[in-house]
Amino acid sequence: MTPDSPLLAARGAGRTFGRKRALEPVELEVHDGDALALVGPNGAGKSTLLALLAGALEPSMGSIERRKGARVGWAPQRPAQYGRLSARENLELFARLEGEADAPAVAGQLLESFRLPDEASPSANLSVGNRQRLNLAISLLGSPHVLLLDEPTAALDPEQRRRLWERAAALREAGGAIVFATQNLDELEREASRVAALRDGRLVFAGPLAEYDRFQAESLSA
Amino acid sequence: MSRVLLLLRKDLLILRRSPLLAGILIAYPLAIAVLVGLVASYGSAKPRVAFVDEDNLPAMVVLGGHRFHVDRTIREVSKNVKLVRLDHDEAERQLRDGRVVAVVTVPPGFVATLRGLVRSPQLELELSRGAISSRVEQQVQALVYSLNRQLQTAYIESNLRYVSLILEGGDGSFIGQPITVLGIAKAQRLLAQMPQTARTRTLLDFLHDARLALANTGDALRSTAHPIELVRVPGRGRTQLLSASVEAYALGLTITFLALLLAAGSLAAERDENVIGRLARGLVGLGHLVWAKIALAAVVALTVGLAIAIAFGTIIEVANVTGGVAWRRLPLLVVGLVLAGGALGALGALLGALAREARSASLVALLVVMPVVFLGLIPPEIVPPAGWLSNALPFVHSVKFFRSALYDLSPWGEVLRESLWLVALGAVFGALARVEARRLLV
Repeated sequence: MTPDSPLLAARGAGRTFGRKRALEPVELEVHDGDALALVGPNGAGKSTLLALLAGALEPSMGSIERRKGARVGWAPQRPAQYGRLSARENLELFARLEGEADAPAVAGQLLESFRLPDEASPSANLSVGNRQRLNLAISLLGSPHVLLLDEPTAALDPEQRRRLWERAAALREAGGAIVFATQNLDELEREASRVAALRDGRLVFAGPLAEYDRFQAESLSA
Repeated sequence: MSRVLLLLRKDLLILRRSPLLAGILIAYPLAIAVLVGLVASYGSAKPRVAFVDEDNLPAMVVLGGHRFHVDRTIREVSKNVKLVRLDHDEAERQLRDGRVVAVVTVPPGFVATLRGLVRSPQLELELSRGAISSRVEQQVQALVYSLNRQLQTAYIESNLRYVSLILEGGDGSFIGQPITVLGIAKAQRLLAQMPQTARTRTLLDFLHDARLALANTGDALRSTAHPIELVRVPGRGRTQLLSASVEAYALGLTITFLALLLAAGSLAAERDENVIGRLARGLVGLGHLVWAKIALAAVVALTVGLAIAIAFGTIIEVANVTGGVAWRRLPLLVVGLVLAGGALGALGALLGALAREARSASLVALLVVMPVVFLGLIPPEIVPPAGWLSNALPFVHSVKFFRSALYDLSPWGEVLRESLWLVALGAVFGALARVEARRLLV
């Protein structure tokens, strides 16, 4: 992929679990500055598509392409961290795995930035909101160009939501992109530049936000 | 720091944070090792054998002038079995039920045949079917052997009294009839008082030779009755509890349990914590993840195994037990513990990948430990398929390695062979675990 090519692209990528086809082959591109919202009812395939884009799952068909050198951060819907390690230990471990030169310093910055408690107690003892903050903080390690967020604000308080979207905006301004799954229409209207709609594992719409409103209206009238 | 080491450090930190789990993981296999030891010693306990007396044995039997108290004699010779007097029907019923493992019957006419000294009387032995029947047969044979030895002693003493009568002369009895014998000594004296001719001198020479020969009859009879005699030298060996085998099995069982459970549980836990996807997207390859679990098993096996070996050695040193401790062999044991822990960790990782969920993986590993261990305990000479199966699992090779490394005078051949087995099994199970680890991503 050249610098002009998409940061991230699904080329006919689909996924089956056993006999169940969770995601039909999808064609989708994520470009510099994009804020792509994935929408659709529960079980539509949003999380599976995000996991494929993140590289956490291998596609059963098609492929995922990433621009050379592009780094991807991923915050799955269910926090992905070690419950018996503290927030700091989780951040330091993943920082080292991401190849951060000064893992303790990076971990300290993120703890402060996400207002996470710097205690020795296991992260499993954190509140749901704090676990989600830690989940998001880990996804920012390694300075990703693309941030993949699966319903990121579901457990966050308003202040943390605001901070999250500020970070996302800063990333886009720096030439990066975000892809986020959401059920929140306000967030969709406010944060997304493009929308990909999924239903029963099929991509039924992909385009600018304005066109999505029209698509929805047509769907309802049909 | 390599990614494998980062994950290993994380797993050790998590283990340290769970002292109860770590304690149980160490205490449980040690308790099992003790129980296996107790079961093994129970295995050599006295089996119950029915004793059916169809000859109505008297309280006392006199053979060759020797008095045998029947019950006392039975007690003396049945040290390895518990003889219970039963009638024929009850004995048959209990044999069918398995309450006795054998029936020894004294048939009618037994004592009369014994007293006749013409042919050997027969005891009848009926055995239950099953694994221990051959052992019971050996023990009943030992019982008959002990009885025969007592009878032989009585017969030899009886025969020697006849020899003494022939040598010295005097009154005695033969087949219940009183007899008076002149004796060689008196015959020599009488012959010496007679006029000495060539004939009397020939007779005197013969009597002299006969007396010398008969004087050695006692030793000759005893050596004929027992061509080879086993004499037990007391107090030379180690007690069974501190034997090389017990140490090797305690080490093998403990690290098998630990390595299988830890590797299986910790690999599956990566999925439970939802971290596997985060790791697999380029941070840590699935191969590295499996390696980290193998390394975890090896490190824990090394730590716990060394602690057991040092504790065992300290007991031997403090108690001044025969044989002492081969402290210089500890480096060789370290190699064995790492190889065994790694091979068992690879098998555990495979179980974890197949089970996919930490609780299931731990349960599966727990269920797998016992057959793996007991297959290794079955002597392959008795059940060859068990030997083939246990050869395909790391436990038996670990035990052989430990036993040889700690106690063989020249362990290198055995140690090299078992090392190759452990490396090969570790490689096979590790490769299978790597393939199956993909299932964790689903």
